[in-house]
Parts: sequence; structure tokens; C-alpha cells
Amino acid sequence: MTYFFNFEVIRNNIGLMLGGLGLGLCIAVVSLFFGIILGLFAAFAAVSSNPALGRLSSGYTALFRNTPLLVLIFIAYFGLPDVGIIMEKTTSFIFTLSLYAGAYMADVFRAGLQAIPRGVIEAGQAIGLTRFQIRWSIQMPIMFRNVLPSMSNFLISLFKDTSLAASITVHELTYFARKLSVETFRVFEAWLTAAVLYVVTCYLVAYLLRKLERKLSFG
Amino acid sequence: MWGSVLTVFLLETLSVGCSYSAAGGPQSSKLQKVLGRGKLIVGTGSTNVPWHFKNEKGELVGFDIEMGRILAQALFGDPNKVEFVEQSPDARIPNLLVDKVDVTFQFMTISPMRLQQVAFSIPYYTEGIGLLLPAGGKYKNYNELAAAQRRGEKVTIAILQNVDAADIVQRILKGAKDDQYENQGLVYQAINSRRADAGAVDLSSIMWLASKEPEKYLNSGFSVNPQNYGAAMRSDDQVWINFVNGVLLDAMTGATYPLYNAAYAKWFGEQLPAPVIGKPSMYR
Repeated sequence: MTYFFNFEVIRNNIGLMLGGLGLGLCIAVVSLFFGIILGLFAAFAAVSSNPALGRLSSGYTALFRNTPLLVLIFIAYFGLPDVGIIMEKTTSFIFTLSLYAGAYMADVFRAGLQAIPRGVIEAGQAIGLTRFQIRWSIQMPIMFRNVLPSMSNFLISLFKDTSLAASITVHELTYFARKLSVETFRVFEAWLTAAVLYVVTCYLVAYLLRKLERKLSFG
Repeated sequence: MWGSVLTVFLLETLSVGCSYSAAGGPQSSKLQKVLGRGKLIVGTGSTNVPWHFKNEKGELVGFDIEMGRILAQALFGDPNKVEFVEQSPDARIPNLLVDKVDVTFQFMTISPMRLQQVAFSIPYYTEGIGLLLPAGGKYKNYNELAAAQRRGEKVTIAILQNVDAADIVQRILKGAKDDQYENQGLVYQAINSRRADAGAVDLSSIMWLASKEPEKYLNSGFSVNPQNYGAAMRSDDQVWINFVNGVLLDAMTGATYPLYNAAYAKWFGEQLPAPVIGKPSMYR
């Protein structure tokens, strides 16, 4: 059986696909930003001396790390309206992805915090820094430098996860690839193009993040 | 060697001759074969409400199943003298061509491409795309939805992502926003969770859902994109085709109309009127 490729439909719709790719990247970055904030709170709660905070943190991370992301997306998009919480679909997806990212970042940050030598914190206490100042000026800069490679990898993983937004009709790359394949029957061309765009974007993001890591490690 | 060849040849000729005389002609109609067999074999599916699906007891039920039983009733006076062969949609034509089934009732759209391979009966249902509304939602019917659109309110219609999905939504309501989901279940979820104001789905499914779950769903009363469903048969047996057509015609417009009307009411929730006496209804 001979298959005849026809990339004309891709050429005619590349603008839509690139737009979808851009939206996916934005969603990943915004979700990671909110995820970092949530992760920091959860990580500090996990290492705090307050057992209630510790239990809250471990409950949050267990829930979001052990539930498939697609299930979380559907609960937020289809389930929350039943209890009166209605968000626009992109907002709903970013909300879900941020909570998901926060759970993963919490573990990464917790490990990063626990890797900081105790002596560094005691030195801060010795010169009279407050708890907040120790966290903000000593722990967090060291922690971020240590966990940057993990965060970079997670950003790429998060970007690939944005393909699940197509299931709630967010107009990102996978949504347009599926639309194109269904409308034109050019299944192979549509999905091959989407795959290439994802690979190239992930490669570029990884390259830029590696440069950032090197700059920060020398600085 | 030549003796063996001659013997085989004579035996073959004898067997063909016997079957020829038993059949009573060059190729007897499927009608005689089915009558001689004592049961009808119908190809159908098992996963589409309200056409062909399994109930809680695992029994095959639905409107297509009823059509098979109407044919069995006409053949044997017994609607249960029928065997249903479950088949996937892409097996509908091949199973007919190899005589695995006598006829297929499987919500099959009559189309020119298919007519090149099989024959179709007269239509026993005309499908369309309708609008499913959530019961207790903002809009009670299509007119209210259209009025809202005219006022400039944002109207969202959920639809299965497929060819012409966006065009279909514009045909239903120009200016409405389409949310295209990858499977039908998500379309219903969108309606249930008020993510969409309405869902564009098969009208038969709407009629089923509105009749079985009126507390959840409403039929907006709108439909578009008509397409006819017919029973598919082999195209080389005019006697059989005529018989099936005659049975369906009588069930829809003649003496046996109660059978068709009862099936229609059961699966689509609508009571059809009795055929009008006088000039046959299809010519009015």
C-alpha cells in the first residue's frame, strides 16, 4: 500500500498550530510560576516543626501526585461548576496544572531545603537574622540554585502535559492537530507536524535553561 | 490417472446437478432460503443507544432490533425467530457480501458510495442533528437560544470534533461558539456541567435522552442535516429486496403500522399517528 503525503493542509494551517504551540508554552510557564509559589509554601510546611502543617503538606502532595492529571482536569472543568465554581476553560486548566505542579515542586523544594547544611542556618541565626530573613536570603537562593536542573526538566514535562488541555477544547497545539486530522483525513501529516513542533520546542527550552543553569552556577 | 479424473468430474457434476434440482432454479432467492431455514439472520451492532445496545440483562434491544423482529414476524409470524449477529460498523457490507447475514439493520445511512456495493431498503428512519438542552438551564427551546444570540449574548454549542463540525454549528446558529470534544461522552458532560449551552448530537439520541431522563435533558425542537437509514442487503436478489421493502412499507404505512409505531414510541418517546385512510400517506 502506497501512502501519498500532502503537507499542503499543514502549510495552510501552520499559523493555527504555531499559535496553539505558543499558548501551550505560556500555559506551562504560568502554571510553573504558580506551582513554584504553592510548592514553596508546601515545602516549608513539610519541614516546619508544626505537625499539622506537615500533615497538610503531605496530604496535598499525595493527592495531586497520585491522581492522573487528566482526571484532575475533568474534575476541575466539569465537576467544580456543580458546586458553583465556574472558571473559563484556559483558567481552569492553568488552575489544575498549577496545583499539580505545586505538588511536584513541593517535593523538589523539600529535598532542596533538607540538603542545605544546618550550619548555614545557624550562622544566620548567630548574626541575628529573623526566621523570614533566613528563609528569604539564605535558604531560598541556595535551594533554587540546587533545584534548578529539576525545575528545568519539570518545565519541559509540564509543557508536554499541556497537550491534555485539548480534552477540554483549549486551543493549543494538540487540539489543532486533532482538528486538522479529523477535517482533512491527513492524519499522519497533522500528528507528525505536531510531534516535530513539540520536539523542537522542548529542545530549545532545554538549551536555554541549560545556559541559564551554567550562568547561575558560575555567578 | 484419466480414470480418476473422470470419476471426480462425474461426481462433481452429479453433486451440482442435485443441488440445482433441489434449489428449484439457477439461484433461488434468499427469501426461500430464510423460510427454509426457519429463522432470519440480522446483522446489527450493540453499542448505540437507542438503536442497538444491551440492556441491564445483557439482551440486545433497540430500534434496529425491533425492525429485525418486524421482519421475522412477517416471515414466520413470530418476532423471536431471528438471530442477531453483532458486527462492527466496518463489517456491515462485508458480512452481507459473504452471506453471513441476510440483512443488516444497523443505523446505516443510505449513500451513493454504499449503493455501489449493496442495496438498501426504503428508509425506515430519517436521522438529523438536533440540539440537546440541559433541563432547568437558561434556555427552554431553540427560539430562546436564537434570541439570546441575536441579543449579543455568548452562546456555546458543544459538538463531537469531526468533519464540518464548525460549519454544522454555524448552520444551527450563526455566530454561536463551537466547543469541539474528542468523544460524545464529553459533549454530554459539557451540557451537564453547563460548560455549553447546548449540544449538537444525533436527533435520535436526543429523543431517547429527553424521554428517558427528562429531569436532565430537553429536546430543543431543532434539527438539521437529514440522512436516511435503510436496511442493507445484497444487491443481486430482487425478490428478497422487494420482500423487505414490502414489509417495511406496510409496517410504516399499512396494516402492521402498530408494530412500527410501538417501536417508535418505545425508543424515541414519540407517539406517531395512525396512517390516514384513503390515498396512501406517502403520496400525500
